[in-house]
Amino acid sequence: MMFYLGLMWEYFKNYAKTRLTYRADFWIEVVSDLAFQAINLIVILIAFRHTPTLGGWTEAEVVFVFGYFMVPYGIFSCFFDLWNFSERYIVKGEMDRVLTRPAHNLFQILLENMYPPGLIGSFVGLVIMAVTARQMGMTFDWTDLVMLLVLTAGAVMVYFGLYTALTAIGFFTDAPTGILPLMFNLQSYGRYPVTIYNRTMRFVLTWLLPFAFVGVYPASYFLERSGAADLRMALLTPAVGLVFTAIGLVVWNIGVKRYRGAGS
Amino acid sequence: MTSMYLDLIRIRFLMMLAYRVNYYSGIVIYAVNIGAYFFFWHAIYGDQEAIRGFTLAQMTTYVAVTWMARAFYFNNLDREIANEVRDGSVAIQFIRPYNYLLVKLFQGFGEGLFRLLLFMTPGLVVVCLIFPIELPRDPAVWLLYAVMLVFSFIINAELNLLTGMGAFYIENVDGLLRMKRVFIDLFSGVLVPIALFPGWLAALSEWLPFQAIAYLPSAVFTGRSTGDEALAAIGLQAAWAVVLIIPIMLMWRAARKRLFVQGG
Amino acid sequence: MQPAIEVHELRKTFKVQRNREGLAGALRDLFRREYVEVTAVKDISFTIPQGEICGYIGENGAGKSTTIKMLAGILVPTSGTVRVAGYVPWRERERFVRNIGVVFGQRSQLWWDIGVIESFRLLRKVYRVPMADYRRRLDELVERLQLGDLLNRPVRKLSLGQRMRCELVASLLHNPSILFLDEPTIGLDIVVKTEIREFLIRLNREHGTTILLTTHDLQDIEALCSRVIMLDDGRIIYDGGLDELKTRWSRGREIRLQFGEQVALERLERLTADLPGASWQAGRDMTAVLRVPADVNLSDALARVVGSGVDIRDIKFMETSTDEIVREIYKSGSASGAERLVGAT
Repeated sequence: MMFYLGLMWEYFKNYAKTRLTYRADFWIEVVSDLAFQAINLIVILIAFRHTPTLGGWTEAEVVFVFGYFMVPYGIFSCFFDLWNFSERYIVKGEMDRVLTRPAHNLFQILLENMYPPGLIGSFVGLVIMAVTARQMGMTFDWTDLVMLLVLTAGAVMVYFGLYTALTAIGFFTDAPTGILPLMFNLQSYGRYPVTIYNRTMRFVLTWLLPFAFVGVYPASYFLERSGAADLRMALLTPAVGLVFTAIGLVVWNIGVKRYRGAGS
Repeated sequence: MTSMYLDLIRIRFLMMLAYRVNYYSGIVIYAVNIGAYFFFWHAIYGDQEAIRGFTLAQMTTYVAVTWMARAFYFNNLDREIANEVRDGSVAIQFIRPYNYLLVKLFQGFGEGLFRLLLFMTPGLVVVCLIFPIELPRDPAVWLLYAVMLVFSFIINAELNLLTGMGAFYIENVDGLLRMKRVFIDLFSGVLVPIALFPGWLAALSEWLPFQAIAYLPSAVFTGRSTGDEALAAIGLQAAWAVVLIIPIMLMWRAARKRLFVQGG
Repeated sequence: MQPAIEVHELRKTFKVQRNREGLAGALRDLFRREYVEVTAVKDISFTIPQGEICGYIGENGAGKSTTIKMLAGILVPTSGTVRVAGYVPWRERERFVRNIGVVFGQRSQLWWDIGVIESFRLLRKVYRVPMADYRRRLDELVERLQLGDLLNRPVRKLSLGQRMRCELVASLLHNPSILFLDEPTIGLDIVVKTEIREFLIRLNREHGTTILLTTHDLQDIEALCSRVIMLDDGRIIYDGGLDELKTRWSRGREIRLQFGEQVALERLERLTADLPGASWQAGRDMTAVLRVPADVNLSDALARVVGSGVDIRDIKFMETSTDEIVREIYKSGSASGAERLVGAT
């Protein structure tokens, strides 16, 4: 474990050195990340100019959920986003190199693709949460802080598991599947109240591609409006995270096995 | 010469066919995307009959047809050009007996044709089965829409050529391209119809070329723009398609000079 | 002493997707794909003792890379056994790979945008090399390969030769006992090639590093290898010393003669008529080539020509090059040659 933490630090240092040579790019990346979120926020703000509530949720509540959504998302995009995997590791063959190194292959790949600017989005998300919480007159105590950590960890694990499983598709087909970029669209629906969707959609977002667990479910833990059912879903977040992490790792390992020609 | 360009279309079409998984997943996920926005607008409408003259039925049709149009006109020409500039292979294109930008455009056509036949059309059928969509009954509207769709493709491709060439000036344009993409999704009206924008934003959008990509054709299709208004919309599209050639030519000329003087 | 590499009946089969032709074919591929099984490596066996430099050659697609990937633990064999440095490579991958170094000539293992030294530091951590060992090792390698002032330069600013030398350092920092080199000299100029060869010989002599290299450049083989394994279509068609390869396959020696007058071919043939297997070939500008089989004494052949009183201006002796021999072997077709060649050791 210490070994891997040490490695993470080394990789981070190399990332930082790389970025220092292209300083302008770094800021472009940060701004473009935030622009993406800003556009989505604008959609919400425009929508609320035409309605006082969205499925019974006020603007402040929806924006609070939006802010919360950015926190695990930022952590995900910093550590677990492997959008380039198929191209770089399978088509260009860098997977071979990874497999000749004495560290777990997924870990090496995650570290090589670390993207620290992603974390800036998490901070912006925290700011949005704080601002809207003040608007709503919410109070925070230390249990909320602990819960924030626990729920965020669960949400990040949902991301990790789901995306690791989807990334592993690269082992099975070297053609770009387009699933990852489109999944990107899909995940954003987890930040709207799931009650606005029909049953199928709610089912998908809760159990199949559980993006509701990276946004609205854990965020509702902090909102005054939440009833017992909301709290139950919020507390389920870590469990769903564990399940999906397990699925992700299993699929990944099957993929690696196939790559090495042991399976199939 | 013409046959070469036709061949480019054919080859790209075949290339796209090779990546089949892309499109199975694509249709499903576009449908989910449309579904999410359908429910989102449903919740926003609540008991309201119409918002800014858009009935809920119109809005549903708008969301579906706009997304499916996006499935058609969307392409990665910008990224392709940027990659070819970065890895230097664009220099080879200069010594070939053809116009590089036209080649790219025709490759885009090949992709567009594929997307129209195997993505947008079946996608629209699927979406019509799932959602309460009102298709126009007047064949003239279909005809107008078809013409406008071609302009959508051209304008979007032109913008892609333009931003792709940015790679001549900025070492790492990926961030900018990503940013452009979300801006286009917002300002073209894919996410929210421009009619719903707050006044100043709507006014701004009217002076930008982006609305010609998605909003104008969809407004005709949903029956919001009819008669002279529809013809004016086509006129505006045509105007943008022509006007955009100017910056492309200027940039191309400057890029060539830059390449010859600095050796790439 | 256990051998460095032991391979027994090794086989690797891949499933390859077949694309149908034309538009209709592509459309059908859209729904159902066809797969073909391809056997890249067909039941090969060999043993490489510690401290040997072995060349692994063959045409493109002969199965070289697939073998190397199995030996390095990247691929799992379809059948057969492999033991490298006492490990089954694919089974205990993470432990095993600390004993080997791998260089893929066409792919970099270095961080592109930052100084080479940063990549080395990272590799030290990855391989858990103690600081003192790392220092000693790096100093030695840097000195040997004359990298001193390159260490802080980003990889993208290095020439191919400089980069390849850095790749070597990167693969040797953890002092592996076995080094796999896949096309280590590809695209390099002759000076760098020579430097790298000398370095590898010294590394092998001083550290006893076992080296297995694939190459298309047979000069690499001549300069480095005491042994060659030749592969064709997934099978070993030759395994043995380089010298044996030459004597076995050499078409004999050639003597090129430059005459001062026009000499008829019949006259020359008469001179060596009593030598079995000797043959003549007339060249341009009053030259001729005498080909002598390996079992005929060269001086005998020469004496017959010189003593005959023809006006000879120049004499050149030529031996068939490894290049030609190898080309000859591939041309002659492997199957029949295989039986003759395997077991030559």
